[in-house]
Parts: sequence; C-alpha cells; structure tokens
Amino acid sequence: MALNGGDEDFEWEPPSEAEMKVIQARRERQDKISKLMGDYLLKGYKMLGDCCDVCGTILLQDRQQKKYCVSCQELDSDIDKDNPALNAQAALSQVRERQLAAQSPAPSQTPELNGGPSNGQPSVSVPQPRPEHCEGAAAGGRALLPPPAVPPPPAAPSTTALAPTRPAVCPQNPALRPVLQEAEEAVLTKLRWATTQLQGAASLEASIQLCSLITSCANSLRSLKELSQ
Amino acid sequence: MCSFFCPFMSHGSVVGVLEAVILRSFGPEGGQVLFTRDTGQAMLSRSGTHILRALHLEHPLARMVVECVWKHSTVTGDGSKTFILLLASLLRKIHTTASREPHVSHSYNSLEAAEAATARHLADKLLAFALKELDDLIAMEVAPHGRCVSWEDFTAEMHSPANHYVQKLLASFFHMRLGYVHCAFISELTCELLNHWKCIDNLPYFALQFLKDNFPAIHTPVSGFPITSSRLIEGQVIHRDFATPYPQTDHQPIKAVVFTGYLQPRLLNTGDVLEVGCGGTEERSIVDFSAWTERSLQCLIANLQSLGVSVLLSVVKQSAAVLALATQAEMCFVDCVSEDELSLFAQLSGATPISDCWRIEPEHIAELTFCRPILLGPHRYENMPFFSLTCKATHLHAKNYLGTIHTSHLQTLVADVFIIRVKVKPYSLIICGSGEGQTDQYACAFQDAIRMLFTTWEPIPATGTTAAKRTVQSDKRTSSYTHVLTDSSTCTSSNLNPLHKCVLQPGCIMPAGGTFEFLLHHALLKLSHSCSASNDTNIGVPVSRLLASALLSVPKQIYSHSPGQFLQTRTRHNAIFTQDMGLESVSCKYELLLAVLQCVTSLLRVDTILRTHTALHTQSLADTSWESTEDEAEN
Repeated sequence: MALNGGDEDFEWEPPSEAEMKVIQARRERQDKISKLMGDYLLKGYKMLGDCCDVCGTILLQDRQQKKYCVSCQELDSDIDKDNPALNAQAALSQVRERQLAAQSPAPSQTPELNGGPSNGQPSVSVPQPRPEHCEGAAAGGRALLPPPAVPPPPAAPSTTALAPTRPAVCPQNPALRPVLQEAEEAVLTKLRWATTQLQGAASLEASIQLCSLITSCANSLRSLKELSQ
Repeated sequence: MCSFFCPFMSHGSVVGVLEAVILRSFGPEGGQVLFTRDTGQAMLSRSGTHILRALHLEHPLARMVVECVWKHSTVTGDGSKTFILLLASLLRKIHTTASREPHVSHSYNSLEAAEAATARHLADKLLAFALKELDDLIAMEVAPHGRCVSWEDFTAEMHSPANHYVQKLLASFFHMRLGYVHCAFISELTCELLNHWKCIDNLPYFALQFLKDNFPAIHTPVSGFPITSSRLIEGQVIHRDFATPYPQTDHQPIKAVVFTGYLQPRLLNTGDVLEVGCGGTEERSIVDFSAWTERSLQCLIANLQSLGVSVLLSVVKQSAAVLALATQAEMCFVDCVSEDELSLFAQLSGATPISDCWRIEPEHIAELTFCRPILLGPHRYENMPFFSLTCKATHLHAKNYLGTIHTSHLQTLVADVFIIRVKVKPYSLIICGSGEGQTDQYACAFQDAIRMLFTTWEPIPATGTTAAKRTVQSDKRTSSYTHVLTDSSTCTSSNLNPLHKCVLQPGCIMPAGGTFEFLLHHALLKLSHSCSASNDTNIGVPVSRLLASALLSVPKQIYSHSPGQFLQTRTRHNAIFTQDMGLESVSCKYELLLAVLQCVTSLLRVDTILRTHTALHTQSLADTSWESTEDEAEN
C-alpha cells in the first residue's frame, strides 16, 4: 500500500490474499500472546509499562524482578522460522528450492553459452549453490530491504559457466578468444562479488556456499586460462 | 529519556490481556480464581473487580481500565467481566474498521496516525450515539420483551409475583457471584432485609439508596461460622463493646445521647500551652485545674442523670475519669464508635450529636427500646434498636436524599414527604463465613446486590432531546412519571404521554443469558438499515452496526461451550422466561454500555505515553510505595 506525502488522495487498495494471510497470522499470534500473558498475570507476574525492544510486546516481571518477554522467549519468532541456519524446516525447503532451480533453468541456459562449439556437451547438473537464493532465504525476514540484488542478467550466463565442470574444448583459438575473455571477466566479476559477500556473510550456511562459489570460480578461471593457452 | 510507542496497537493488546485473564471466570460455567498471599491466606473469588484489582499492573493503560471497571462496579455492583469483554470487542471492531477505511480528509504523517484519528472519531461518534439514542432504542425494542416489576408490589405479600421476580433476580446474581449452593438462601435473606427496611419512605428507591449508603453500618461480618448461620437481628449493631459495666435496666424507653467531642478537657496535648493561675492573687497549680475539671464533669453527669439519659455514645476515647463517673452513675458508655454507625444512629433516631456538652437540648436525646450486648463470634457488640421515628426525622431524611434526585422531580417529592409519619424497626444483617476472606466476599456480594437493585429501580434521568421536552411539559411529565411508578403491568409506550419519547422504565428485568445483547443487536441492525447514511458519510460504516457486532461477543462467550445453543438462542430471542438462565436488570446493562463506551473514548484519546526515568534512589522508593499501595488495594 503506497502512502503518498498527503497532498494527493490516499489510494487504498484492499489487501491481497497473501497480505490477508499475514494479517490473520499476526492476529492469531497476538491472541496467543494475550492468552499467555493473562496466564502469567494470574500467576503473580507484574505487567510493566515497558515494551520489548525486539518485538514490541509488553514486558512482564516476575517475583525475582526479572523481566520476561512472552513472545521472544516462548513463542517461536515470526521471522526466525525463515532462517535456514536456525530452523531445520527452512533449511529443507531451501534445499528443495535449490534442486528445483538447478534442474529447470540449466537446460535452457547451456545453449546460451556453449553456442555452436559445444552443442553436444552435456550440461552437468551439479547442484551448485546459488548465492542469490540462499542469501534471499536467509535474510528474508530480518532484512528490511529486499534481498541482495539478484545478479543482473549478464551475470546469469556466468553462473551457468560454473555449471559445467569441464569447459568445452574449442579447437579454434582465435574465434574463441573474445568469448573466453568475456567468460574470464564474468567469472572475475563473480569472484569479486562473492568475496565482498563473504566478508559480510552472517550465517554459516551462506559462508560455506560462498566459499564453494569462490572455489568453483577459481577452478573455472584455471580452466579458462588452460583453454586460452 | 522517554520512550514512545504507538499506543493504538497496545490498547488492543492491553485489553486483550485483561480479557484473557477474566475469560475463564466468565459466564455460568466460569471458574473461580484462587488468591494466595505470602502469609498463607487463600481465597476463592469469581468477582471480576476482585480479580482485576488483585493483579500486579504497572502499565498505565491497564491501570486506567481497571480503575474504570472498579468505578463502574461501585455504581452498579455487577458486570465487571462483561465490561472487559465488551471493551475488548469494541476496540477490535474499531481497529478493524479504522484500518479498513482510514479517514483521509486530513493529511497525516503515517498510516498509524490516520488510523488512530479514525478510531478516535469512531469512538466519539459511538458515545454520542449512545447518549442520544440508545435509551430510547432500548425502551422501545428491548424492554418490551422483559417485565417491569414495581417496587410497591415487591413487599405487598411474601408470595406475590413481584417478590418472585426480585428473588429470582437476586438468586441469579448470587449464583454468578458466589456459586450455586447457597444462592437461594442468600437471596431469601436479602429479600427479608429489604422487606424490613422498605417502609422507610414512600418513594421506592429511597430505601435502596439508604441501604446502599449505610451498608457498612448495617451489616456485621462474623467469621468462623457457616454461611447458613447468617441472619437478621432487630436493631442496630454498634461494633464496639461497652466501656463501662452494663447495668441491667428495665424501664423504658432508654435514653441515649451521642457526644462528638471530649467531655473532659485534655490537658496534655503536644503543643498546648496551659496557663494556670493567671489573673488571681493565689497561686494555682495544675492539680487545682484537674480538680476543677472533675467537678465540672460531675455536674455534667448529674445533668444527664436528671434528664434520664442512661446510654452515652462517643466518637472519641474518653478519659478514665469520665468512665469512672459514668460507672458510678450507672450509665452505659460506648466510645470509639465509628462515624458511619453514629450517622446511621443519628438518622434513625433523629437525635443530633452533641458537640458542646454544656448545652443538651431535647433534640439531642434519642429513645431506644432496648440496649444490650450481643456476642457475635469472638466479638461482643452492642445492640440497640429504636422505638419510633418522628415526622421531623423523616423530613431530615428527605433533605439528605433530595440532593441526589434529578432537579425536575424536586417539587413533587417535597410535597409528598412532609406528611409522612413512619415507623421503622431497623434490622441488622449478620453475615457469617468460614474464613475472613470468605466473609468479606459474602459481604461484598450483598453490597453489590443492593447496588444492583438500586440501579434497577432508579429512574434514569432525561438525556438529550427528551430533557428539552420535559422542561416544556413539566406538569404532564410529572403526572406521567407518578403514573409510571405505580404502573405494575408490562410497560408499553401507550401508558405514557405520547407527546414525549418513551423512557426506560425503572424495574425492568429480562432473562439473562445474552437475551439483552441479542435484542439490542437486532434493534441496532434494524436502525442502521432504516436510517440513511447522511450522518456518517465520512466514515461510511454506521456506528450502530459496529456496536451491534461488538455486542454479540458477550453471548458468544456465554455459549462458548455449546455453539448450538448460541444459534438457538439467537433465533428464538423472543421466548421470554422459558430458559432458566436467571434474570438480569436492563438498567444495569444500559449503564454498563455507557460506561464501556466512555472508557473506549478515553482510552483512544491517549496519543502517547511518556515514561520518564528518575534518579535511582527515588525510583526504588517509588517501587516500594507502589508495592505497599497494591497490597492495600488487595485488602
């Protein structure tokens, strides 16, 4: 729902189904919190005038003067359930996502790169980690901004360049040189990007994936250099 | 440093928490809350006010809500859990409506601000609607399904239908409050009490008001006995023992006086300066002074003896010399009597308390039938009934109560009161319970029952447009008012002057179990369909529809254990008195609705809550005083 500065009329659109589900889920969660807090109040806890910094729920205080937030400490967090590093469910769903993504676009993207020379080359569908996928899933709830920029389409062929472990051996060197250079540049760009991402990576899973990406980038560069020689 | 948070969301969450607290005790199937203290005292209670006031709440909104509930229950005596339910449901509905259609005519900084402003606007409209139109709606659509019980009919005979209805009303009240086992016994006891006190005045609710105001002095809690030992005894019980040995006197009537001050001047107060021996040639000492005061006391006692006074009541603790002289003169002396009891004594006997003990007039002397000690449980009290009330005393009563009546009724009432000569035999209520907590609970339940009855039979003053009509046609209205009071049939608008709107009749009761809510829900929906949207074009949703949907939350909770019954009752709402869920008072429900709407308005007017942090040592002091006040509140 876009909110204008107030000069124009506020265009209100009814919430979409996904938003309705979110609203419903939030309401149920709020009811659960209220019920839990009511039980604690009846047990003798004190309702404070403060709110929790993390989730905004009203804080309770027990007889030993210890503060207690019902939603943080008892209920599962709204957003943590999407983080694969913390939740097994999210990790499993991420693996499934990866498999799906590796299977479907791989056949369509290999002709793009290998073009003429290696049209018979089978595309090895090794499920390489796709950084944009795992970063997106891990940072889905926590990050306020949309997930880190999906690599622009020119970089897409570079990822598929990683897919085949054996680059196509081309007999014609001069015709292949610009293509190889392009490929090298693309791989280097990817390597640079992966390095910067690795420096900022928060979760274990992501770091592992980025390291493997860097490894494959290095392997690809080596192969490309062998090719060009 | 101050913290700011969006209060709109937290209104709903705070009230939602309170709702979760009382929900399990709500309704006829509701459970009781067991309170325990660190001292080991335990108590069971189902009273909403009691539960809410026992919670430790530091959140300002929560405290505000509990304060509203408590104030409401001191007026009507009932409905504190329903209050919270309605409040939560209304806030949810207002929030939903506001988020669906925020008020877009002004520019706001954020969506939350727009929603909050819409909510406030909705709440104000709801309150305005309720104050203006709700009583007429209830009188026309809801009250005809109930029955108007006239207070005069109540005490005509023990087995009249009016008696039956009042007893059933009380029985359902006590059933909800105290449980099923003793509700019949307690409601019979209350009816008996009302019967005895009814003849105090001509107009019906005076007796109820008198009982309501003087209840602390009229009842005596005695713990250690089963509730079935509770009974009425004749006369007023003064909750102090005799300070002097009680002499057995046979002659009647016994005369009594009440002193408010000290009979013997006190010598040794801090800060007093006593000048002895001034202006004379002889040297005077303090011994001479005290001898002089004793001589003057002897004169006073002799004066009282000559007047035939044998019972002395005092507010303050008198000195040993006074007691000794009183014993010598064979007078009963009771000191340290509480103010409420003395004021009740003064009202019943017509005797004014003496402030200057040297001027005792006949108006200061009360006449009693008997005065004897009574042993109630571990305490010995004094029991003294009264002989008669004079006309003058009745006039005094009228003066006390006229101030609380709507001013337009004043002319009629003063005329009636002057002529009456009433004989009243006061009765006191002894309430027994197994422990102190239980006894206190029973006493609170009795007091709340009387408040509920008072609210039921209190005529609702004119509001809004009807008030204007009343000042114009005061004669006609007065006659119709008295006509209404004596009308004991089911109320219909044809009985009243057709020129003014139908007003909610006093004494209207209907079956409990959500009937009132269903009927009002249907009436509000009918109103919203029939009236055009001309008043509410800004919002687009008539407030009556909002109120109608919020009202359904109460019967939904009552029938939460059996949804089938909810649907059945909803469709068969015009089946009167066939279900055995008891009776409830329409006036109490109306007052409850108004109180809830006022609470909603004041809650939604809160924009921000600023919390300031003070220095550490004062904070800890504030915390300890908080604890102590909360402990006192729990008492």
